[in-house]
Amino acid sequence: MKIDRRLLINFDWILLVLVLAISCIGLLNLYSISYNLTHISGKPLYIKQFYWMLIGLALMFSAASIDYHFIVRYGYVIYCISLMLLLSVFIQGTVTHGSQRWLFLWGLSFQPSELMKLTTIIALTKYITENKINEGYHIKSLVIPFVIVGIPCWIIAMQPDLGTALFLAILFFSVILFVGVNRKTLVMFATSGIVLAPLCWFFLKDYQRERILTFLNPERDPLGSGYHIIQSIIAVGSGGIFGKGFLKGTQSQLKFLPEQQTDFVFSVFAEEWGFLGAMIVIFMFLALVLWGLKIARNSKDLAGILIALGITIFIFWGVFINVGMILGTLPVVGIPLPFLSYGGSSMVVLMMGVGLLMNVSMRRFMLQP
Amino acid sequence: MEKKSKLTTYDPGEFRGKFNILIWLVICAFAFLGAKMWYLQALQGEKLSQRSMNNRIRLQEIKPLRGLILDTNGKILVDNQPSFDISIVPETAKDVKSVIKRLEYVYVERNMKFSNTVTFEKRRKPFVPIKLERNIGRDKLAVVETNSLDLPGIIVDVVPVRSYIYGEIMAHVLGYVGEISTLELERDLHRERKRGDIVGKLGIEKSTNRYLMGKSGGEQIEVNVSGRKLDVLGKVESIPGYNVMLTIDADLQRISWDAFQGKAGSVIVMDPRNGSILAMINKPSFDPNLFNRGISDDEWSKLLSNPFCPMQNKAISGQYPPGSTFKLLIAAAALEEGLITPDTLIYCDGTFTKGDRTFRCWKKHGHGGVDLYRAIVESCDVYFYNLGAQIGVDTLAEYAKRFGFGSKSGITIPGEKEGLIPTKKWKLKRFKEPWQVGETISLSIGQGFVMLTPLQLLRAYCALANGGVLYRPRLLKKVTTEKGQIVEMFHPVKESLLPISKKNLEILTHALWGAVNEDHGTGRALRRSERDVSGKTGTAQVIEMVQDEEDKDKEDVPYKYRDHALFVCFAPYDNPEVAVIVIVEHGGHGGSAAAPIARKIIDGYFDLKGTRNILHVAEKMS
Repeated sequence: MKIDRRLLINFDWILLVLVLAISCIGLLNLYSISYNLTHISGKPLYIKQFYWMLIGLALMFSAASIDYHFIVRYGYVIYCISLMLLLSVFIQGTVTHGSQRWLFLWGLSFQPSELMKLTTIIALTKYITENKINEGYHIKSLVIPFVIVGIPCWIIAMQPDLGTALFLAILFFSVILFVGVNRKTLVMFATSGIVLAPLCWFFLKDYQRERILTFLNPERDPLGSGYHIIQSIIAVGSGGIFGKGFLKGTQSQLKFLPEQQTDFVFSVFAEEWGFLGAMIVIFMFLALVLWGLKIARNSKDLAGILIALGITIFIFWGVFINVGMILGTLPVVGIPLPFLSYGGSSMVVLMMGVGLLMNVSMRRFMLQP
Repeated sequence: MEKKSKLTTYDPGEFRGKFNILIWLVICAFAFLGAKMWYLQALQGEKLSQRSMNNRIRLQEIKPLRGLILDTNGKILVDNQPSFDISIVPETAKDVKSVIKRLEYVYVERNMKFSNTVTFEKRRKPFVPIKLERNIGRDKLAVVETNSLDLPGIIVDVVPVRSYIYGEIMAHVLGYVGEISTLELERDLHRERKRGDIVGKLGIEKSTNRYLMGKSGGEQIEVNVSGRKLDVLGKVESIPGYNVMLTIDADLQRISWDAFQGKAGSVIVMDPRNGSILAMINKPSFDPNLFNRGISDDEWSKLLSNPFCPMQNKAISGQYPPGSTFKLLIAAAALEEGLITPDTLIYCDGTFTKGDRTFRCWKKHGHGGVDLYRAIVESCDVYFYNLGAQIGVDTLAEYAKRFGFGSKSGITIPGEKEGLIPTKKWKLKRFKEPWQVGETISLSIGQGFVMLTPLQLLRAYCALANGGVLYRPRLLKKVTTEKGQIVEMFHPVKESLLPISKKNLEILTHALWGAVNEDHGTGRALRRSERDVSGKTGTAQVIEMVQDEEDKDKEDVPYKYRDHALFVCFAPYDNPEVAVIVIVEHGGHGGSAAAPIARKIIDGYFDLKGTRNILHVAEKMS
């Protein structure tokens, strides 16, 4: 593959540095978590995450080198392949912890629902670039996008993984609202949202309803998620301004929280590094998101804008929902914190997303087909 | 090119405004997060830090009481009893080794053994007790309690444990419980269960587990360094499981158990009016109480290696050739197909020839001229050979299926088998050989490939007795809360009708009456002075032996080759209300081995009824 010199000149170092910095903080944090956690079999978490990071970086560079227009052109194909991977989870039929979310290939486990987040963005981009309406979308033209997002949403909800399904929906609405929706549709969205919300209550399973009720009153579920939220708040708060110190989180609260390395990673970090440390990381995330928005804004074509926007919003919501959750502001929904939560699928998919961001950024001076 | 221009050209100003809004929204969102963090870490930091450092928050699960299982009259069959465990909380004990030594000493003083060696894991949740001994007896309990001041950190946990009051008599129906396995956890898609939960593993305990389970409660308590409760942060009461009432009658069950003689076999008692199962016993059996705190390896391998299969519920999963009890089906088919009438006479000289094979009747020199009534009463084989040969295997299979044979009845305990009804197609598929006429002949007297479970057979006879209705076998009567409110009622379910006209049914039941009450009836061992029992004997061949009236003496034939003895019956003749099936594995003749057992049970049933009526009247009068 011939590497155009212009691409190298325009290589987005700041983006790379930001992502690497956040990921390394993630590794450091995981080291602390593995230090205090009773051993899970195999290599320690931070080593595994490191390997995933490397794989992710490799894919990031690949994603950056292919012209994103090419990727968008085959958007639907990529989407379908990803959808098939998602469906094959059911065919493989392995049930873990009461849900079917993972595919087991060549000794590795992998969550297709994570990939789906990315490929849905790409597919949406393709659709929007080919069907742009200047006055804003009306319902009829939104049918296909609804289907594009709706199918994976529904499949993922069947796994059952309501959190990720909702996440996809939020991504979708963010992008669509940004691109523009005409007033009538907007009103329709709002009213159907208000009407559907109580309806959804009936479809929720008991434990899912419990989650929501517990969120409103953590004391309600002392055995389950109520316990987690209270412990998380204590961990975060007890960090104070300066934190308890690396490896010194008393962590007696979180020691046996099962989601310590995934949902509640930031609680651990906040306990050890305090307000100062936590805010530094928050600022780094903010910088990343703003940088992504800048890339989107500077892109010369609609496809670039949408891809960059989609990825940036993906990262934004990931951070906002997860941090909000561990602070007790949002219900426990199982959305991982980008780059910090342990998880190969999440890390790799995010890195690929960042690769696409780089892609758009590097080519902002080109008007190639 | 059209498409490309869409990709490349747009108005940059279009989104500028939107981006600005977005940027501000993002900044606000992050600011909000930062503010909450400031609130927690700067403003609440001190207080929360206190909580984390000096105090501990502990979760205590409040396990629910499992529901009771009752018999049809409300007698308790399965109860919960307290079982006591000794645990130690290292943080409270301070010097763990010396406390344990003192405990050992206290035991030894009274000639008791301390049955545990404790290893402490390095990393464990603080203040969570470590189990030392499980299921200690009351004497040990007394010892520990009286010495509690010298044993800091030692606590007694009360764990509710199942108590099967009737022990092995009800084992197969009730089942047993155990800790949930990893496989069962994985299958629990709704996350209703967790590790350490007790679930039913067999029988009613398993099939009604979701009623019996109840719901855990929990307490979030704050404890100080010594482990003393400071505050209850939240509490959710446990909800006890529901009580399940069965149709089983405990007294009748015991009568059936005591009546059964033989090494192995099964008895079922059913009410033909509604399919309710009044008793179901299997021998040999096992004691479900063995499983309560986890069965020992020794006991388990003893159960598994017993050649008479004590763990098997033979009533629903034992598959046997029905022998002569199957003749009723042949008779029904022949009547319905119009091949015979009640007056049709067939001559039995003791043999029947088809092609190049000769089949014998059990009566060596034959019965002479036989009509349908006599054929059933004296169980003439040749009569039925004739019918079978005319009807053919596939038509017989049709009728058999409509009698409920060859498929599961849907009883609400796990482990039911479907039995086997052979057809031409089946044999081709299974053995890759065509069906032989000789096999139809064997089939006509219930031998050969055909297999039924005792439940299927009894249910069919109940249908003959009640006018032709096949009921779904009914074990559950109702489910109530611990306070007695009804949660669910289980009504009798009519599944289908037998393919027999009312007139023909009467002919058949009349013959069944004769089989018990006529002087030459094969079931005469069951005849009561009330002359109200009807039934049919059956002798199921285990291996094909020479058919002879003077059969080899029982003792000459090795046990495992002896025929199975079967008997099905119902009473009274008008409006039958009880039906019994008895199978004695390798018991020999149905008439001699199984019928007397059935007789005792029928007698027991009417005795009980009588006694209960008297009590009832007495109650009403007082």
